[in-house]
Amino acid sequence: MSIRSGSELRGQVNLQCDAVVVGTGAGGSIAARELARAGAKVIAVEEGAYCTSADFNQREEQMLPMLFQDRGGRTTDDLAIRVLQGRGVGGSTVHNTNLCKRTPDAILDLWHDRYHVTGMRAVELAPAFETIERDLSVAEIPIAMRNRNNDILRIGAEALGWRGGQLKHNRVGCQGSGFCELGCVYNAKQNALKVVIPQAVLAGADVLSDVRAVKVLHNANRVRGLRAEAIDREGRIVAEITIDAPVVVLSASAVGSAALARASNVPDKYELVGKRLRMHPGGVVAGRFKDEVCGDKGIPQSYECTEHLSFEEGSDRRVWITTAFAHPIGTASVLPGFGAKHMSMMRSYRHFSVLTAMLHDESMGEVYLGSEGRPALRYEMNRSDRLQLQKGLRACAELLFAAGAEEVVIPATPQVIVKSRRDLDRIDWSFGKPHSVPLTAVHPMGTMPMGDDPRSSVVNSQGEHHQLRGLFVADGSLFPTSIGGPPQISIYAFAQHLSPHIIARARH
Amino acid sequence: MSRVSRRGVLRGIGVGILALGGVAALVRTSGYELPAHRRGKLRVLDAAQFTILTAIASRVCAADASDAPSIEETDVVGFVDSFAVSMPEKMKRDLLLFLSVIEHVGPLFAKHVDRFTSLGLSSQDAVLSALEANDEGLLRGGFAGLKALLFMGYYRDPRTWPLLQYDGPTISQVGSP
Repeated sequence: MSIRSGSELRGQVNLQCDAVVVGTGAGGSIAARELARAGAKVIAVEEGAYCTSADFNQREEQMLPMLFQDRGGRTTDDLAIRVLQGRGVGGSTVHNTNLCKRTPDAILDLWHDRYHVTGMRAVELAPAFETIERDLSVAEIPIAMRNRNNDILRIGAEALGWRGGQLKHNRVGCQGSGFCELGCVYNAKQNALKVVIPQAVLAGADVLSDVRAVKVLHNANRVRGLRAEAIDREGRIVAEITIDAPVVVLSASAVGSAALARASNVPDKYELVGKRLRMHPGGVVAGRFKDEVCGDKGIPQSYECTEHLSFEEGSDRRVWITTAFAHPIGTASVLPGFGAKHMSMMRSYRHFSVLTAMLHDESMGEVYLGSEGRPALRYEMNRSDRLQLQKGLRACAELLFAAGAEEVVIPATPQVIVKSRRDLDRIDWSFGKPHSVPLTAVHPMGTMPMGDDPRSSVVNSQGEHHQLRGLFVADGSLFPTSIGGPPQISIYAFAQHLSPHIIARARH
Repeated sequence: MSRVSRRGVLRGIGVGILALGGVAALVRTSGYELPAHRRGKLRVLDAAQFTILTAIASRVCAADASDAPSIEETDVVGFVDSFAVSMPEKMKRDLLLFLSVIEHVGPLFAKHVDRFTSLGLSSQDAVLSALEANDEGLLRGGFAGLKALLFMGYYRDPRTWPLLQYDGPTISQVGSP
């Protein structure tokens, strides 16, 4: 009934429980809470540290390595896409921008009709969504808290007659500091770290931070437990841990869970584990405005443009547009070039409005085990997605001009500076592809998809592995396809929805 | 017969270039000397790597006006050395290897035969531009990663913030840059 650091452990440690949860983000925190509330003895292990608002200091160079996997340096194996994933108690909910959107009904219908997912349509998931939204105080972001960067997006969308709207979030007591991606020093985020993990602990769950899962133990098609390593702050192994348990819940993200399943030689007759990786890769476009924008201040994302977003499979409208703004280090990393020209552009920092075109992607990548057994990602964007990216970058540029930008900068190599909306027609947009424009992905998903057909899914619609009794998945790995929007609420809710099945198995 | 993809060929070329850089690094590590105040203080970089990274940093973070602090004032390379201590081992190895690639192989992309640290400033810029726009994704991506690390070292320093009119943290400072 506590949160302890595994770095305090030494030697060989043996533990027993009813269920082990791997990862403490949106999915793992809910699974741990619901198991504990049902009276199960549950241990949640987390590779990263336990940090609270007192540990956050709004410094990029200190928070990026602390809160993100691979010290913020994770990329696809071809170095084309930066992949930002959380590390530490609370997972990605600690650094995300708190956007709350339910899984689109059309996506849930698609999963039902095409991917044999049962019991997960909108009406069936509604109670779980309602529970999560209540627990996390989800509400529409007050218009008064919309910063100028987001207002530019609104103005652009309205000027063009494009579909858009205010977003929902899970913050209470937000001070509008704009440092959400570095952890909230004001503790305003109603996330796994602040809300759900404490509830889990209160209900009796044990949380072990600084513990890296190494292998799911299993034989005779039944889960037997987990082998893990306790690590100190320098990453040195200080203890080896064996946890005997009949249930293991993988909630270590679509990257971590799939990598652990592969490292554990989990049965995979149809070679599906780790495949079908989607991740919403996104590119940015910056507009330079005469007046100050100060995009680094206030709630980073409060408005969306959905004009180019449709959830039909094979649609040619698969771009979600919202704002993107970074602090100096993040901005400097994305702007093209270097040296004096780069610095001159950085001097416009306060005058930039930045939008991102995030793809509802159909390309399928793979999570595999790289050197030293660490997760590695292979992802090659297909032609259709490249066209969507180009379309999205152009749409961002149109929005910025419609809102009054003096010029638009596309951080391609070589960089593209556009002086008017008319000039957009003269551009050959084929430069819009990985390696030519910086891309970032923050939503890996789909690597252990659910469904009732073992030939096309890794776990069933209750989240349990088709061949390995007692192995559950409760994170974004479950998604059979991209969901085309921020996934945190879906992950929380899916874990909530699947929990009765996990509890039932833990009791047998 | 197995199919040879364009991606596979490119990857092969990239790996070849990196391997060449690695070999070059083994045979040409002489002629680099640390400044006195750095001796015995570096945690990851050796004298050659420190010298190469300093040369790269001075071009990547080159100032556009006299109000910008230098890489020495902001200790960009010292920061990278400290930051690299806790990097995953593979990432650390790739970083150090990439420094060798820039030093020994990079100049070839801009039609120079001397090593990077021996080139004039404009030639160094040409080498880095060639890497940034290189057709081989690993070189382009490697440079982007290195650039991000150097900018982290530079823009972490509050003395750079007035250039951007960036106000910095809203809370009182915890920890030093």
